[in-house]
Amino acid sequence: MISSKISRRYAKALFGIGLEDGNYKAYGECLKEFARFCEENEAFFKTVSSKIFSTEERARVLNAVLAKSDFPDVVKNFLRVLVDKDRMVAVGAISEYYTKLTDEVSNITRANIITARPLRDEALDKLRQGLEKLTGKTVEAEVTQDDSLIGGVVVKIGDMVLDGSVRAQLQGLKESLKRGEYS
Amino acid sequence: MSRKRGLFRILRQVLVVSGTVALVWIPSGFLWAAEHGAEGAAHQGGGEFKDLISRFINFALMVIILFIVIRKSSMKDFFSSRREEIKRKLEELRKGKSEAEAKVKELEQKLNKFEQEKKKILEEFKAEGLAEKERIIKEAKERADQILQQAEFTIQREMEAARTRLREEVAELATKKAEEIIKNQITDKDQEHLVKEFIERVERLH
Repeated sequence: MISSKISRRYAKALFGIGLEDGNYKAYGECLKEFARFCEENEAFFKTVSSKIFSTEERARVLNAVLAKSDFPDVVKNFLRVLVDKDRMVAVGAISEYYTKLTDEVSNITRANIITARPLRDEALDKLRQGLEKLTGKTVEAEVTQDDSLIGGVVVKIGDMVLDGSVRAQLQGLKESLKRGEYS
Repeated sequence: MSRKRGLFRILRQVLVVSGTVALVWIPSGFLWAAEHGAEGAAHQGGGEFKDLISRFINFALMVIILFIVIRKSSMKDFFSSRREEIKRKLEELRKGKSEAEAKVKELEQKLNKFEQEKKKILEEFKAEGLAEKERIIKEAKERADQILQQAEFTIQREMEAARTRLREEVAELATKKAEEIIKNQITDKDQEHLVKEFIERVERLH
């Protein structure tokens, strides 16, 4: 298991190169795509990240895949370094941290909006605008549905959680009743 | 051994007295026979004088014999030793009496002392008993108070716990029921209204 500190170090290294040549967004997208590819192709990921195979064997497999991709050379070389240094197993964490770095530079924040019922576009726009005003950043929202909320929405931005669900209100009501606040 | 010696002494004394009586009696008999013989021969005529002389001699002989016998015999010693013995016995008895009296006095003193000690011990025990009784009563009262307080505290705690449990159960049931009702009755309009309220709250957070 590779520590998050090492993952951040690798992400920062690639991000630094991207900032210098101005292609940090493209590198981020490529890295994200490769991480998703690893997630979807478990056998490939195990091959390139497992120490059962020699570095040369793993590099050969990686090169075979990269040959079919249109990734910039910087990204390809970065992935080869990960294989050489036995850090391929952390490619997911590196990609996540790289995204954070990109978002910071681009003044973007990602919001996870969980809703009990599908949101109308108008409501979603209004909510995004409200969140952008709140955070002072461009909000990229990812909407998911969770019936257990009963009604309302829950927004997660970084460590901040804004819970406007019926479930939370019922929970609050229950706690108040238990404390005897309504007796 | 001393008993044997005593018997022998008494026997000897009896023999001495018997001998003495015999010695006195026999000469008197002889004199009496001589008198009556002379009476027959001379009849009266100076007979009264002779009778007097013979009686006097008779008496004198008896006294002399008795004197000699008593002197020679151990009668004196007997009485003397008897007196000494009685005296000694009396002395011993007196001594024994005084010792017994001293003993009695000593025992009486001891008895008095014992009585006093007994009285003192009884008083002490009584005082200790009273103190112990008071202590036990005090402790029992304190313990009873503690138990009562504890019981009261326990009752209050149990009542509070029961109230809390009841409140929790009621809260649980009420929210469950409310959840069921809301789930069944919530509409898209309600959802829109909730989202709108949420957006307003988010905007108020700026």
